[in-house]
Amino acid sequence: VSVRTLEIDGKSVTGLPEQTIFDVAWENGIKIPRMCHIGGVSNIGACRLCLVEIEGRRKLQAACMTKVEEGMVVHTSTDRLRAFRRLLVELLFAERNHVCSVCVMNGACELQDMATELGIDHVRLRYQFPPIQVDNSHERFGMDQNRCVLCTRCVRVCDEVEGAHTWDIAGRGANSRVISDLGEAWGASDSCTSCGKCVQVCPTGALFVKGKTVAEMRKDRGFLKYIVTAREKHQWVR
Amino acid sequence: VQLHDILLRMTRGDAVASDLDLLQEMCELLRETSLCGLGQTAPNPVLSTLKYFRQEYEAHIHDRVCPAGQCEIGVQAVEGGRP
Repeated sequence: VSVRTLEIDGKSVTGLPEQTIFDVAWENGIKIPRMCHIGGVSNIGACRLCLVEIEGRRKLQAACMTKVEEGMVVHTSTDRLRAFRRLLVELLFAERNHVCSVCVMNGACELQDMATELGIDHVRLRYQFPPIQVDNSHERFGMDQNRCVLCTRCVRVCDEVEGAHTWDIAGRGANSRVISDLGEAWGASDSCTSCGKCVQVCPTGALFVKGKTVAEMRKDRGFLKYIVTAREKHQWVR
Repeated sequence: VQLHDILLRMTRGDAVASDLDLLQEMCELLRETSLCGLGQTAPNPVLSTLKYFRQEYEAHIHDRVCPAGQCEIGVQAVEGGRP
């Protein structure tokens, strides 16, 4: 197996040809911000937060979608990138009704953490305040789209890991919504197996376990790794 | 959506000075971070006008006047001006 040697933020690192810049950076302690990426499901490069500068390439590249190459020189945290990331997160906040103080994920929310990390103390944009309903029809889980950032982690984990594909996205642009089945209430969904994987991967409090009050919800992100590793090693037969 | 919101406020004379920087920054963000060609080129008209007709944007903001006479606020200064 040939190994690729590259430079990330001035640090010389090595990775396998099939690895992405994102994976190699995290293995070496360089934490590139991300919202849509989660280990165990496919990458889509949608959130644009992991964009990095690669010397010799005109365009910014999504680190989670770009494979490592020999001799790459990557910069992950220039002033320009930080300014872009800040505005991107502000746009996410302005697009829905994110109210941390009443959210079940307060204190453990990836969006909140990202904002703190980027030093966002206020949003310069005008909030859109879209009128959005809460779906509490499922017996164990709830969905509050006010807190959704459309990362589609739930869609991918449901399709690729659970195999149910209950979730999908309806609409386009600012009108995009996560829907179950064909837009039915979650509780009325025939395909949902109530496995709860979507709830665990959701970066915010958009998907939550019922019965948790403000700032009580904590999510287990590690379970996905066990499932995927076990499947790769054929520790069980389907 | 946000870009449209700012431009709309400009035509009504409700924009403030910081909106101009924000407009520029957002256009650059869109141009640099988009995956597809549409996103990469869509902000170009706005960026070009910012580059070549910046004084018109400034007239909208500071004097609440539309020099070209195309916007709601009109060519004449609004009585009283900005509070």
